[in-house]
Amino acid sequence: MGAVGLQTHIWANNTRSVILLVTFPILLIGIIYGIQLILMGLGVLPGSGKALGDDMALAASWLGATIPLALVVAAVWFAIAYFGSQTMVDMLTGARKVERRTEPELYNLLENLSISRGLRTPTLRVIDNDSLNAFATGLHEGQYSITVTRGLVQSLTRDELEAVLAHELTHVINKDVRTMVIASIFAGIISVLAELVFRALLYSGGGRRREDNKNAMPLILIGIAFAVVGFVLAIVIRMMLSRTREYVADAGAVELTKNPDAMISALRKVEGRSSLKGPDELQQLFLDNQPDGVGLEGMFASHPPIQKRIDALIRFGGGRDPGPWTGEEAFGSSFSASTSVPIT
Amino acid sequence: MITWIIIGVVVLVLLFVVVGGYNKLVALDQRADQSFADIDVQLKQRQDLIPNLVETVKGYATHERGTLDAVTQARAAAAGATSVNDKVQAENMLTGALGRLFAVSEAYPDLKANTNFQQLSAELSDIENKLAAARRFFNNAVGEFNAVRRQFPTVLFAGLFGFASDKPFFDVGEGDRAAMNAAPPQVKF
Repeated sequence: MGAVGLQTHIWANNTRSVILLVTFPILLIGIIYGIQLILMGLGVLPGSGKALGDDMALAASWLGATIPLALVVAAVWFAIAYFGSQTMVDMLTGARKVERRTEPELYNLLENLSISRGLRTPTLRVIDNDSLNAFATGLHEGQYSITVTRGLVQSLTRDELEAVLAHELTHVINKDVRTMVIASIFAGIISVLAELVFRALLYSGGGRRREDNKNAMPLILIGIAFAVVGFVLAIVIRMMLSRTREYVADAGAVELTKNPDAMISALRKVEGRSSLKGPDELQQLFLDNQPDGVGLEGMFASHPPIQKRIDALIRFGGGRDPGPWTGEEAFGSSFSASTSVPIT
Repeated sequence: MITWIIIGVVVLVLLFVVVGGYNKLVALDQRADQSFADIDVQLKQRQDLIPNLVETVKGYATHERGTLDAVTQARAAAAGATSVNDKVQAENMLTGALGRLFAVSEAYPDLKANTNFQQLSAELSDIENKLAAARRFFNNAVGEFNAVRRQFPTVLFAGLFGFASDKPFFDVGEGDRAAMNAAPPQVKF
């Protein structure tokens, strides 16, 4: 059943995310199989000595032993990367922690939103930077943190700022940071494996050790195909996953604030003004992150284009689009005249 | 043997579809009710402001008895309404009465200069804005519930579980709309 409103839109994207996440282990198995084929082709592993089909079946039969081994290696890798990621994020962003005293309005907005969902208020941080962006970090309760740029606080109205904070809070509620860390660790493991394969091939190319396997060439080619397809798919799927989480966070922000227009006009303001530097793992958590280059960017973008996000908000959230922002003051205020009474 | 397995699989799939569809409906139903509660909060806040407003206006606009009484009565009716439909109707009455009150207040410059009145009207217009947002969200949730309820295959069993009919939208005054259709607003010079 297709999405007919905000909630069904969220459900559809959550289902998509689960399916995408499940493909990672499958990709890993595919790559391991590819590596085994290549090793057999190179003569490192013994072949069946018969036809190509028999060799491939033999390699498949080894998976019973190699998959548990790969799982153990992946688990160790996970443990290290998982606990290291927060420290890394903290070190790289240079964000400053802010308290209620220094930023009362911003802090209250976030606190009210958190209270309405029964959450402990995440740590609020500000980066002194003119670009318009925001992101959520943290892998478990007590570690959650929401960071906004100074430019964002200055350019957005109260309602828009609330929508952005609600977007990031939805990432926290949905544990998207954890999902994306898991996805990037998987993608990391897969790309390291793929790199190993290519290095190994380069070095062994001159060796000429293919003494016994008569199917060497096809085995190596099939193995390379497995590794290449797995490598590319791992990146594409990681980015697809990131994009579905953005749609869910946009919809979740409307759920929290009940105001689709503010989310749309906030996105309009962020559009084209969001450039912020950070490592890949962090950039995919940004409010908006558009690739610099052109070409196949749609497949490798961590965020959907702003226009598509706005279209989804209009279609499922009943919002209204004021059009691109040129920098004038009264933007979007025809919908949200809440500046008349200060909220304490 | 094989026929039994097939029958078992078919029954399981059917059960899965029914349970999934039912849970979906329950979640959407709950969500619509919750978002009506958000409207309710704003309505309550508006009702609480009205006695203050009436007192303030009374001090300046002594000749507007009828308009003031209409507001007080509409407020009492709104506070007493229990079902969703009654609430919607009573609140639309109240919105209309408040509109007339603000219209007549235009004729009293002293009243318009009163800080208390200014603050109250600012607060009321803020509530109206929030109310409009909450109403849109509620109508969106209701529309989603109704659409899923009517989709195949949910429509086949929705009635069995007590979801036999669509939820009503929060309409802006059906009476008003009928009146507008009968006699469109005219501009006179």
